[in-house]
Amino acid sequence: MRRTGWILCAAIIACLAALPWFGSNFTISLALSITMYAGLALSWAMFSGTTGYIALSSSAFFGVGAYACAILLESWPWPIVILGGALTAALLALLLGLCVLHLRGTYFAILTFGISELLKNLVGYVEKSQFGTVGRMMLGVPSLSVIYWTVLGLAVAAAIIYWAVARSDFGAALRAIGSDEDRAATLGLNVRNTKIAAFCLSAIIPGSLGAAVAVRWTYIDPQIVFNPFIVFQTVLVATIGGASRLAGPVLGAVVFGLLEELLRLHFAHYYLILLGILLILSVLYVPNGLASLIPSRRPQLLHRAGGKHALPNDRS
Amino acid sequence: MPYPMIALDDLAVRFGGVAALSGVTFTAGASEFIGVIGPNGAGKTTLFNVISGMVSPSAGAFRIDGVDLIGQRAHVFNRVGIARTFQTARVFRNLSVRENVEFGLRLPGRRGGRARHLRTEADDLLDRLGLRPQAGLTAGSLPPTRQRLIEIGMALATNPRVLLLDEVAAGLTQGEAKTMASLIRDLRSERDMCVIWIEHNVEVLMRTVERVLVLHHGEVLADGPPARITKDPVVIDAYLGETAVD
Repeated sequence: MRRTGWILCAAIIACLAALPWFGSNFTISLALSITMYAGLALSWAMFSGTTGYIALSSSAFFGVGAYACAILLESWPWPIVILGGALTAALLALLLGLCVLHLRGTYFAILTFGISELLKNLVGYVEKSQFGTVGRMMLGVPSLSVIYWTVLGLAVAAAIIYWAVARSDFGAALRAIGSDEDRAATLGLNVRNTKIAAFCLSAIIPGSLGAAVAVRWTYIDPQIVFNPFIVFQTVLVATIGGASRLAGPVLGAVVFGLLEELLRLHFAHYYLILLGILLILSVLYVPNGLASLIPSRRPQLLHRAGGKHALPNDRS
Repeated sequence: MPYPMIALDDLAVRFGGVAALSGVTFTAGASEFIGVIGPNGAGKTTLFNVISGMVSPSAGAFRIDGVDLIGQRAHVFNRVGIARTFQTARVFRNLSVRENVEFGLRLPGRRGGRARHLRTEADDLLDRLGLRPQAGLTAGSLPPTRQRLIEIGMALATNPRVLLLDEVAAGLTQGEAKTMASLIRDLRSERDMCVIWIEHNVEVLMRTVERVLVLHHGEVLADGPPARITKDPVVIDAYLGETAVD
């Protein structure tokens, strides 16, 4: 069973990787959107799904990644450009984490979002005052296939990170923080450092994706790359799919990506309204995400135990 | 001469204008077994909050094994060997019983071996506390009395030198409370650790511990062996009342 799963995953990834040779530009673009959503949502779920800290900073990570790309693209090879995006975003997460990770709940969510907006305006201001213009042309853009392979690779990397974290002691620490942070501290966990490390790790993929996808626009400015829609989509994809299992964000990305494209094609004027209604319905009726509908190998651990079954054994 | 395990000197904790603890001076040795009693609001839990690093004292000195920990965060207190349970059990509710107990074992740097040791160590703890049959259930689904046992397991997993127990026998029948008391006594001698136990069930406590600390209005009212405390007129007057245990 386990082995079949692995083989299936490998086969799907291989098919996706071969897409540029047989797919149309439209299919490649669609697959690119879906894999990008998957990468963003997996990174988000790795941090927010485990710790319960709702980070609304994906746009900021994505945006600084895109700007790192705009600066590096002319004179550096493509892998360095992507790496530059990753490191810039991780650095931003480190600074952001040091400032706001002591806040909890809504305060954390609002502040991460506020800082992203602040950053958008700050970048615009700096460009205007230092260079006299806002925005940058992208020069030396790689082909669509290269962009697509990069995004696919990053989505796979996000999945591997999610999987490795979930299995590790680090992942156990994050889940404990999500459950009762002060309790985890009394058991010896340095909660602040753990949260900051996880937050930085969660910024790497969005930053790299920002760098990879930025080249699809021939021109970028802060309004484009720090667009709050990026973080909204990230959170929605993770929520539709379910953040507590690897399959969740992936499934969410597929459903969201297809739905978005379908609705946009057929209901160009009100597709956002329809999308909104579908999202509300999914949150109301499938609160734990689509992945919760797939039977799990260890369901009794987290779900069935909630009922009466636990009681008869008590004090045995 | 070695340092005392815990040394509080003229310690005070104030919340706004309210003094939760004042002038508390108290030392505990490395393998002492101490009970803490006192009426509600006497400052018992605040004392634990200070010793476990969750509340910073407003005044006074506080050392653990000679180390001044004032101003440090809670995880540092655990790393020098303090572990505790909570009056209202605080387990990781949505994690399994096993994951709860494993947590203390899993922290980096605490365990020499890897995953296989983790499993056997967790199994040993679960067996020791009689939690093995429920290992796979979510901790939050178990009744409070079981959750307290899980908490003891979580604390023991960090291999503490001082175990702070906050009313672990609450809600138990007298017979169950006695079983709990002998479990605690056994654990303490197996692990040669210092145990400080807050308990409202005075009768069981007095028969188990070697020394009793009585708190009243945030101050130490009496400190001594149970036999003396039960006969202390000040304690009887303030707390034990006419129905004192003999």
